[in-house]
Amino acid sequence: MKLIYKSLIIFTLVVISSCSEDFLELTPQQSISNDDFLKTFDDFQSAILGGYDQMQNSDWYGRYMILVPDVMGEDVKQNASANRAKEWAEYSGAPVDFIPEEFWAELYEGINIANSMINAEFEAPTSLTEDFNQILGEAYALRALAYFDLVRLFAQHYTYTSDASHLGVPIVLEFDVEAKPARNTVAEVYSQIIDDFNQAISLMSIDPANAGYFSREAAQALLSRVYLYMEDFGQAESLATAVISSGKFSLVSAADYPMQFFNGNSPEAILEINFNLADNPGADHIGGMYKESGYGDYLPSEDLLNLIPDGDVRSTLFRIDTTSIGGIYGNLRVDKYPSEGADIATDNVPVIRLSEVYLIRAEARAKSSDDAGAQADLNLIRQRALPTAPDVTATGADLITEILNERRIELAFEGHSIFDVTRNELDVVRDDCTAPANACSISYPNDRFILAIPIEETDVNPNMVQNDSYGQ
Amino acid sequence: MKKFLLSFMVLVFAFMQVRAQVRTVAGKVTSSEDGTALPGVSVLVKGTSSGSVTDIDGNYSVTIPDGSGTLIFSFIGLATKEVEVGSQSVVNVDMATDAKQLSEVIVVGYGTQRKEELTGSLNVIDATKLEQIPTSTFQDALQGTSGLQVVSNDGAPGAAVSVRVRGIGSITASNEPLYVIDGMPVSQGSISQTDFGNGGRSSNVLASLNPNDIESLVVLKDAAALAIFGSRGANGVVLINTKSGKKGKAKVDLKLQYGFSDFAFDNLLEPLNRDQYRQLYVEGYVNAGTLTEQEAIDLYATQFPEDANTDWLDEISQTGTTSQYDLSFQGGTDKLSYYISGSYFDQEGVVIENKFERYSSRINLSADITDKLKITNNLNISYFEQRGITDGTRWQAPFYLAYLMAPAVPVLDDQGRYYGEHTFFMGANNPVGHLNEDERELQQSRIIDNLSLSYRITDDISFKSTWAIDILNVDEHIFANGRYGDGRNIGGSVNDATTDIVDWMGSHTLNYGKTFNSVHNFDALLGYEAQKTTTQVLEASGEGFSHPDLKTLSSAANPTAAIGSETESSYNSVFSRLNYDYEGTYYLQLSLRNDGSSKFGPANRRATFWSVGLGYTLSNAGFMQNISAIDFLKLRTSYGTVGNSGIGNFDWAGLWGFTREYDGQPGAAPSQVANENLTWETQEYFNIGMDLNMFNNRISIGLEYFNRTSSDLILDRPLSNTTGFRNVSQNVGDMENNGIELTLDGKIIETPDFYLSAGFNITFLNNELTFLPEPIVDGTKRREEGRDFQEYYLYGWAGVDPANGDPLWFTDSTKSEVTNNINEAERFYDGKSATPDFYGRFNLNAGYKGLSIGLQFNYQFGNYLYDNPGWVIHGDGRFTPRSTSTYAFENRWQNPGDEALFPQHRWGGNQASNTRNSSRYLFEGDFIRLKTINIGYDLPSSIVSKLKLRSLKVYTNLNNIWTWVADDQLHFDPEQTINGVYNTVTPINKTVSFGVNIGL
Repeated sequence: MKLIYKSLIIFTLVVISSCSEDFLELTPQQSISNDDFLKTFDDFQSAILGGYDQMQNSDWYGRYMILVPDVMGEDVKQNASANRAKEWAEYSGAPVDFIPEEFWAELYEGINIANSMINAEFEAPTSLTEDFNQILGEAYALRALAYFDLVRLFAQHYTYTSDASHLGVPIVLEFDVEAKPARNTVAEVYSQIIDDFNQAISLMSIDPANAGYFSREAAQALLSRVYLYMEDFGQAESLATAVISSGKFSLVSAADYPMQFFNGNSPEAILEINFNLADNPGADHIGGMYKESGYGDYLPSEDLLNLIPDGDVRSTLFRIDTTSIGGIYGNLRVDKYPSEGADIATDNVPVIRLSEVYLIRAEARAKSSDDAGAQADLNLIRQRALPTAPDVTATGADLITEILNERRIELAFEGHSIFDVTRNELDVVRDDCTAPANACSISYPNDRFILAIPIEETDVNPNMVQNDSYGQ
Repeated sequence: MKKFLLSFMVLVFAFMQVRAQVRTVAGKVTSSEDGTALPGVSVLVKGTSSGSVTDIDGNYSVTIPDGSGTLIFSFIGLATKEVEVGSQSVVNVDMATDAKQLSEVIVVGYGTQRKEELTGSLNVIDATKLEQIPTSTFQDALQGTSGLQVVSNDGAPGAAVSVRVRGIGSITASNEPLYVIDGMPVSQGSISQTDFGNGGRSSNVLASLNPNDIESLVVLKDAAALAIFGSRGANGVVLINTKSGKKGKAKVDLKLQYGFSDFAFDNLLEPLNRDQYRQLYVEGYVNAGTLTEQEAIDLYATQFPEDANTDWLDEISQTGTTSQYDLSFQGGTDKLSYYISGSYFDQEGVVIENKFERYSSRINLSADITDKLKITNNLNISYFEQRGITDGTRWQAPFYLAYLMAPAVPVLDDQGRYYGEHTFFMGANNPVGHLNEDERELQQSRIIDNLSLSYRITDDISFKSTWAIDILNVDEHIFANGRYGDGRNIGGSVNDATTDIVDWMGSHTLNYGKTFNSVHNFDALLGYEAQKTTTQVLEASGEGFSHPDLKTLSSAANPTAAIGSETESSYNSVFSRLNYDYEGTYYLQLSLRNDGSSKFGPANRRATFWSVGLGYTLSNAGFMQNISAIDFLKLRTSYGTVGNSGIGNFDWAGLWGFTREYDGQPGAAPSQVANENLTWETQEYFNIGMDLNMFNNRISIGLEYFNRTSSDLILDRPLSNTTGFRNVSQNVGDMENNGIELTLDGKIIETPDFYLSAGFNITFLNNELTFLPEPIVDGTKRREEGRDFQEYYLYGWAGVDPANGDPLWFTDSTKSEVTNNINEAERFYDGKSATPDFYGRFNLNAGYKGLSIGLQFNYQFGNYLYDNPGWVIHGDGRFTPRSTSTYAFENRWQNPGDEALFPQHRWGGNQASNTRNSSRYLFEGDFIRLKTINIGYDLPSSIVSKLKLRSLKVYTNLNNIWTWVADDQLHFDPEQTINGVYNTVTPINKTVSFGVNIGL
């Protein structure tokens, strides 16, 4: 009998030793739970860096935000081996394709990062108020830029309807896991973008360490681009002037022009995405799309090359590739993102730079009949690239066309093509065309100028209306 | 005087009686087979509790009442003998083996049961099926077990094996059974931080176990057997029982084997030759209208200056070889017994440079410290090295490149190095160079130790305590050279990782067993168990190598990442089980278990699981005694709940992750959505079955119906992406698997010299998602309530238009209209799924004297397979200028009027003809495969004893030697995917091996 009691005691002791509930309460070692984060100033610093990291994603400024708008335009043509943005370049995309899904998911993920920071209840100590406001301003600017990119990709341009009441994208300002929002109108989305950029402008007061971060001027420059798209030329001009006269940026010389993304943080960079040797998207960088040492899927079209005057420094951004296919594919490669070999993905990617701000102002002035002002800005850009270029003499509609052509040359391969075409209500005309015949000329207006809402969204969200002419 | 004398006589007589009650009987017990002494045999005096045990020489001595007495001699595996003791004082007995009895004591969860006592459903695979199998893992021996689907995901050496017990019970949580070695649930599956594991296909931590060390595998399949495993029993449990010592003379066994392998399936795709490729190359540009014929010919000359004629498939494949050597020692005294083994297994795969090499040793000791206290320690140390290949659709994957790389590219350049000039073509990848110069290695060290202590407190109560530890270390090294292939732009890259997993378990049980009134048999179990697993990972990568011979991390000029992480999970449980039977006729089993795990949300950490099992041995009933044909008939049924906790360690938590980086500084972003309510998936299992033995146990039949309902299935429920997340883990979904298993085994002829037996089993399986709030599209399939979980949802391929070679699709499920524009077609269900209708095995065994022959066929019908890489390999030119297979080349449309299988080939593609998720890439998966032919010869004892050996056997095994498939268009092995979707992997091997088993 004694033995039984003895053994039962041993048994219970053994049981008790690992029986506490703490035994089951473990915490993850590489993550922090939601309840424990955004409680200190350092948390906000980490979070905004997370936001910039999100912009580095190859589905955003790492590659596709720069690539897709260009392949849909006239200045880029496909190589025979192209197989990533092929459907969109050929205007045969569908909701099941991966590019709309990646844009949609990654950009809204960026918005969620910004929302988390904006909605967090945090009182910064007075010594850190300025720094904290800077970070909060960056969050607002991040959100505004994300919505701007979403509405450009998935909705028709602002002036497609007279009051911008056509379908935009859902505006989400706080986290709700069950949300299935409907699409807001383009007017509402632009209104949100303007509010967010203005908030950013009012909160930011510190000059960042380099052009890899949002600054007050970056928000102003981007907002001026927004107003240009809206055709509010007065606002576009005044914001552009604010940026130019801040004196913080200056146009690089023709000699320094080719290496500005290679070196990064040039005097004319207003906002760029920083990449370096340890932190880059590797083969997924935009540069790899153009170089034969990468995937080499896309080539410059003759349509663009014919616009560039001889001797212009921007014609040195192309080089001959002896191993290329030839025939209709030609033998030129884009060299705007020059890194090769081990550094291939380290070139910074521009979001906005001073040249564009001048061109925005030129266009805004020309469209407000200030031809002289427009000519002055256009001359600056032209003569920086080709010092012997004559002054601009065109006026009226011709002047506007020259400015638009200058944009094509200056901002080539920076993700502007299709947006500039559609907001000016022009047709896409590809004289040098490697796409199937039915994609060599796309007339305006067109349902296919914008991407399809991804099937992953429409499958889950019954309130989401698909864009016209895209099936299921 | 007379009275005194009478009483004195009575006294003396009485005295004599008393004295005569204690009489000693002694004797010797020997084996009737070979006359050797049998130690450890129990000798009981019938009707009393007195008895003894034979000593090392087989001698015993017991005391019995004079005049009458019966001695019962019993020992596991021998036929019990009862001997009436008359007036002798010496009783010698010989005992024969009872083969029936050997298989009757089965190890179940936390104990053993005899076969006739079972109310649950299980299968036993004995050691003979595990001996010297020609694969790296014992899991292969599970093939053909009733109710189980066993699939080699990859034919490469050391690859993982997927096992499904009675269908698929979960959508996102694991579907693999729990593997328990000597009572300890162990780490299983593929553990790999780099992509060596190819997404879980190519590495297998269970390959550390030497199959020759296994005494039996027991697969537990229903609630009565599984509920005792609670939250981890949902997908079935495979109990692995390693060999233990045997009292008696030591047995030494040496096993040697050597074998050759090749691809098993004979209808695999063949690559093009140079002339075919050149023809297709020119055609592709002309058909697309992008170049003229002359321009295309000129371009070919520029792109392929070498104009070689390489057969890439041939270049990367070789005849595989397997050799294995196993030496074991088994024996013991009455106080100490041992099983010690050492083995070496070396396999060269069917792809060059692929290999798996394992060293393993085991020491299983068992000691009777006192007559009440017994200690067992099982220690296994193993180490293996593996060289693998990339599979799937990465550009490096040799089986992908075998068809896509142009034959015009040579293997070597003019300097004798591997050719890498073709930078425009899939990144200058050269599969032969990659296999020889790049590195893809894994080394695993593993120590598993089980220490257990059993203490018999009284005759009825015993206590057992087990402490076990599983220490696993996996080292990986992946290197890509800098001159050609994936590493070419970055100067080469290296990725190293180390994973350390320490898993300890403590389990304590109290057992009470008693028989009341000799008819009521009780067995009760009460236990407590705790387990904790800690995982540490260190991973580093770098780029930029200055010399092709430098391949280690410290030679990399640019370190690109260094990651260290740690994670852990823990369980604890209390459990109990009660077995009751009435006279071996009526059986009742109850079990109850309460589990807690750190993997679940704080709101739902603990859960209780239970089961009830009933059995009735109908053949014991009175009226059945007259039916002589029936030897044994038992009906049994069970019902209970089990759980599935096979998910990540912190899936319930809302988290910010810190893998972000910008401008040289670390950042954070939300990485996971919270669900504090996340809890176990539960399964309700119902099973009803019948076991029947007839005609003197010549025929045995088993029939079972099972119904397995899973609820609270954890799903990554898709969210609107506007939330910033794509999905959240939630318990939302119910699924049901039901089916019938039928097993038939017959001993057709059974004579002393010749025997012939046959066996057959079939499992019918039916699967349905019984509740799902919203349908979920998942690749080729769509999960919808009311349908089979694995039903395909595809575009309907309608063939090729003979007039112009255009691809055609049905517009919808009515199949009434076709179109050549994919945007006008929609996906639909077509009644096809990856779940088979039925599967099983058929085997035939025969023997004449020492010669034995065995055949086993496996078959499966009713499932469909999807060719995932088809959209690239058979892409009709979509990916310029990648090559294709001869099958595509011969079946392409060329001229108007051609009735072709494939559309016209055009570089850039033909109107999206290769759109994925299309029935164009769907095939029937029905097959019959001759899995094994064993031919062996046990040399007769006359020869064997002359050689001073105990036994000698020579044999040859042929594995996967013949396959039949229903669909003659199928061009990959039907047995390489558990979910129907085939990815480019090393094909399954057929093997011919020769071996010798020497017993000393």
